[in-house]
Amino acid sequence: MPTLAPPAVTGLGTLYVYGIAAAGVRAPRATGVAGSPVGLLTESGLCAAVSPAPERPRARRRDLLAHQAVLEELVAQGPVLPMRFAVLTPRPDALRAQLRSDAAHLKRQLDDIAGCVELNVKGTVVADCLAELVRRDEQLRTLALRARRRPGYDADVRLGEALAKAVRREARRAAREVLARLTPLAVRTADGPLDDGRVLSTSFLVRADDEPGFRREVAARARAHRDRLALGVTGPLPCYSFVEARPASRPAGR
Amino acid sequence: MITTYEDEVVCAPRAGTLYDVLELILDRGMVIDVFVRVSLVGIEILKVDARIVVASVDTYLRFAEACNRLDLERDVRSKTVPELFGGPVAKAVGRTGARRTARSLTDKVRDVLAPPEQDLPEEDLPAEDLPAEDVRDGVRTPAGRERERRAARHQRRSPAARPGGEARPRARRRPAAEE
Repeated sequence: MPTLAPPAVTGLGTLYVYGIAAAGVRAPRATGVAGSPVGLLTESGLCAAVSPAPERPRARRRDLLAHQAVLEELVAQGPVLPMRFAVLTPRPDALRAQLRSDAAHLKRQLDDIAGCVELNVKGTVVADCLAELVRRDEQLRTLALRARRRPGYDADVRLGEALAKAVRREARRAAREVLARLTPLAVRTADGPLDDGRVLSTSFLVRADDEPGFRREVAARARAHRDRLALGVTGPLPCYSFVEARPASRPAGR
Repeated sequence: MITTYEDEVVCAPRAGTLYDVLELILDRGMVIDVFVRVSLVGIEILKVDARIVVASVDTYLRFAEACNRLDLERDVRSKTVPELFGGPVAKAVGRTGARRTARSLTDKVRDVLAPPEQDLPEEDLPAEDLPAEDVRDGVRTPAGRERERRAARHQRRSPAARPGGEARPRARRRPAAEE
């Protein structure tokens, strides 16, 4: 059993926490945030991957990648509860106390995501259906013809705005269809923020065995909608979206 | 909105990956109450948002321009939009082009391999797009054949393809109806 205790863990001081897994995993070899070595702190059948916290954590690109890399190494060994970026604990014993008091809750969450991965699907608007929309939509056609007969800035703006709306509406419709197709393939879903251009942003908790089928479905949907919606899958990821943000309900509450 | 760039295109592959998971790493995942979570002041991120802002006049004008280049009389797919916006749109069209070339190449291989009396399968293109002489001719390059096909299609449709779009043909039609 790797009871690794690198200087980071034994030493006093603030720790950066990457994630929590069942006790018994190997310490990640990846370099942690701010170039620090990553160690494990084991308590009550759980272990937390930690490293000495940088003095002023910042969301630098290499630190974000380090956070992700450490988690990925853990995920390869079994279920992991990933921490949000830049979660720190003032002292190792505070973390131990937390793991101890919350062990049951944390273990239940680990069981919930065991054998699953997070796949994040994003969809953005594509305007390749523009010609088709103009052909199909009488109103757009009228605007287009008007802009030709009386060319000018205002006519173009009006036409362009109507086109933008139509194209976005098409993309949204396609996104709804994609979501309806993918949801049954997942254990759970978690929606992310949308905006003008991003019409689909959903994380899916998918059984690892189902990942190939899920990807095939995404690819098929991407082909079907490629003139109006660009689909991308990111993953498999640590299950960021499927852990309870605050597992530490008040000790008395349980 | 209009069009999107795939992150791999804009950034290095790793950056693309990071960009896609950024919101998850920063906004999801577990936080533990007794833990301190530093506030991330001035996030120094490569948040390269390459997407075109949809609700901008600039985009409207580009859309309008793309639309103005469409031939509203013809049943065409816009080839001008990709040129205008680049990105995956252009890539998609490029892929389509490549596929078309590949298909022509397959045709040619069949032309060479298939016994002359055997009919060509018709899965590829409607018969009207394959003039008889084209089928017999095994010498032309696939690209050349594709060019010819396009030209043939263009010829067939050219009466309606004159510049001037909507107004002109209608003007022609009307006198015809009056006669």
